Amino acid sequence: MNFDAKPFLLFSNIENGLMHWLLVFGSFIGVIFAASILISLGIYGVSGPVAVVSRVRQGLHDFVNSSPKRIWAIAGLTIMEAVRRKALLVFVVFAFLMMFAGWFLDSELRADLQVKNAVSFALTTVSWLTIPVLLLLSCWGIPEDIRVRSIHTVVTKPVRRNEIVMGRILGFATIAAGIVAIMGIIGYVWILRQVPNNASLICRVPVYGTLQFLDREGNVADKGINTGDIWEFRSYIEGGSKASAAYKFPIDAPVDRIKLESRFEAFRTHKGRMGQSLLVRYVLVNPTKDLRVPLDSFEIKEFNLNEQYLERKLSFYDEVRMEKREVDLFDDVVDQNSLTIEVQCLDVGQYLGMARPDFFIRLPDRPFAVGYFKAVLGIWLLTVFIVSIGVTSSTFVKGPVATLLTFSLLIIGQGFREFMIKLITGVQKGGGPIESWYRLVTHMNDTLELPDNIGIKIMQGIDNVMLAGLWLMQHLIPDLSSFVMSPYVANGFDVPWNVAIFRSLAITIGYLVPCLLVGYYSLTLRELEAK
Amino acid sequence: METQSVIQIKNLTKIYRDFWGRKKVRALNSLSLDVKKGEVFGLLGPNGSGKTTTMKLLLGLLFPTEGEITVLGKPASDVSKNEWIGYLPEESYLYRFLNAEETLDFYGRLFDMSPQQRKERSNQLIELVGLQNARKRQLKEYSKGMARRIGLAQALINNPDLILLDEPTSGLDPLGSRDMKDLIVKLKNEGKTVVMCSHLLADVQDVCDRIAILYAGELKELGRVDDLLKEQHETELLTSKLSPEAVADVEAVLAKHNAKLLRHGHPTNSLEDLFLKTVQKSQERPGQRFVPAATEKS
Repeated sequence: MNFDAKPFLLFSNIENGLMHWLLVFGSFIGVIFAASILISLGIYGVSGPVAVVSRVRQGLHDFVNSSPKRIWAIAGLTIMEAVRRKALLVFVVFAFLMMFAGWFLDSELRADLQVKNAVSFALTTVSWLTIPVLLLLSCWGIPEDIRVRSIHTVVTKPVRRNEIVMGRILGFATIAAGIVAIMGIIGYVWILRQVPNNASLICRVPVYGTLQFLDREGNVADKGINTGDIWEFRSYIEGGSKASAAYKFPIDAPVDRIKLESRFEAFRTHKGRMGQSLLVRYVLVNPTKDLRVPLDSFEIKEFNLNEQYLERKLSFYDEVRMEKREVDLFDDVVDQNSLTIEVQCLDVGQYLGMARPDFFIRLPDRPFAVGYFKAVLGIWLLTVFIVSIGVTSSTFVKGPVATLLTFSLLIIGQGFREFMIKLITGVQKGGGPIESWYRLVTHMNDTLELPDNIGIKIMQGIDNVMLAGLWLMQHLIPDLSSFVMSPYVANGFDVPWNVAIFRSLAITIGYLVPCLLVGYYSLTLRELEAK
Repeated sequence: METQSVIQIKNLTKIYRDFWGRKKVRALNSLSLDVKKGEVFGLLGPNGSGKTTTMKLLLGLLFPTEGEITVLGKPASDVSKNEWIGYLPEESYLYRFLNAEETLDFYGRLFDMSPQQRKERSNQLIELVGLQNARKRQLKEYSKGMARRIGLAQALINNPDLILLDEPTSGLDPLGSRDMKDLIVKLKNEGKTVVMCSHLLADVQDVCDRIAILYAGELKELGRVDDLLKEQHETELLTSKLSPEAVADVEAVLAKHNAKLLRHGHPTNSLEDLFLKTVQKSQERPGQRFVPAATEKS
């Protein structure tokens, strides 16, 4: 497991997200409005800004007076167009892949890995088939309407331009819902048939906590030790020292027992005890009561799951009081609705690696179908996002450009956003684009200092302007990683509503609103001639 | 009493520009005209004279460079005016993947019509334009004439007060053309206002009350068809067949009044009338054929 479910606390994050959205969206609107006023003033004099204000009022009027019936009529047309233009042939490709995929999936693997491959394959196929089809349909619909001028027979009816944009988005979103739902069901049945006899489909519900490292002196540290791995997903604690990793889990209500699940990684500096794995101990901590409850140590199963149960009544030997004690997990150990568990490695000279999602409380499992169809919902949300961007961009550029624009946004949002942030924050070494070219041409290592001269200063100045542009783009380009929910299901987890679904939904809605505005004004302010 | 104006155009100028905003074509230049309620108004002119541009400006598909347009008392950019307008574009720019029923149902939905209203109106219009036998066929299978007919039906779906027809008879056979002209007259009799643009002058002459002639984007002539076509310096008499003597007598009488007979002979029907009569006869007597004279002798 190498994915981290980023915490997204619905209400507090929504508040922050909403503020950020208002800031970005407000700035965007403000800049465009101010520019429109200034430009119109320059070209048309006083009547220019009056016309701009009138357009804004007209826009508000049009949005308020939109007719759901007309929107649905256009959505219906969009659906019929897609069906008659044979977009549903995508099912043939899907059926073909599903029929023969079983031959190529490795049946020699461990049973749980076979399940993981089957789930990943089914969900990836659904998204990889749905997304390109909807990307093309949404980016080409309006430009084609303008090219063949069929839009003339629509806009000469009492149809507002925002109704066209909304109808198109709704239509494509409905098609996507149909395609994704049918493929999802077929994929589900296919997965059930692919599960080996000695494996089962699980949907674990984890409760993740926060992670805090303590160094070998027992002091709080930002991270554990890096054992030389470039991938810094996991940090390591030193065995046989005061180093530990303290996980703090939220606890809602008392239960009879709590199931703990972990998957730690070992790093050995010596062979250690032959034939035995690393010895690990959990210590339950209540800092308010100054209570430390060490549990029995256990050997970790490397590359596999460790499962422990915490009973409500715990007996342990209190090393401070030098006596055997019995405590209640919820009355004595849980402190302010949170349970703190320190993980210690007991083998001297060995290191135990862990990340935040490596240790969690496992709530009762849900049916596999629940997690699976949440992931299918995630694919649909991503499709709706793509459709919104595609339809909007197609109102001001032609089909191929709209496709390229939307596709670029999708690629950057899914894979390159972090790189972009690293560039902006200076974490990525090598400077901006010009400096990178300079270093490439002069064969200069990115760790070397640049010479101090006027040319370099000008170059860095230009880079800073470009990075400022990138900073602006970074606020406009979404983080689409939360839409990809298949890793949860493939790794046997439920898809958390607050981490994945609500986050994706918030992003979709956050982009849908400006998309409608841009699409509306783009269609309103242009002459709908195929030129 | 002054008749109410349905369309008012004042000093309308349209300049097409290129991507960089440079002037490309001046399609209309200071055009001013009014269209009155209940009349059939024709826009005439050669290709590129600005007829279709005027039509598109009226519909808000293009924006004027200068001047004002009022349609049904509202600015051309006001979408709400379209509630009472029907538009037949030059080509039938319809959704080719729909059939006739679906097409009319779709456009009916854009007017917020109820399913019952849409169904009734669709049936009525399909019958009116004579597409009963092709109602389930997709428009991509339609001939040009059929496409014009369904285009007309969609323009009338909302029972509009103002109907804008861009080249309404283009692509239609003489029968279809006659039906279209009859329909225009019928619409006028129902009190509708029709604005049509065409370069088929006979069609315009047949149905229009008033016409405007455009050339290179400028208005060159405007008025009632009868007035514009009337030759003020000549008089036309139509009599029953005259003998050569009678013709000579008429010439003598005319000479007495300082006039002369400019032309005499048998009046001819128009080719359209001949065609329509022939088709009508063929429908009444399907077996009858024309036998060429040479064949008759042999």
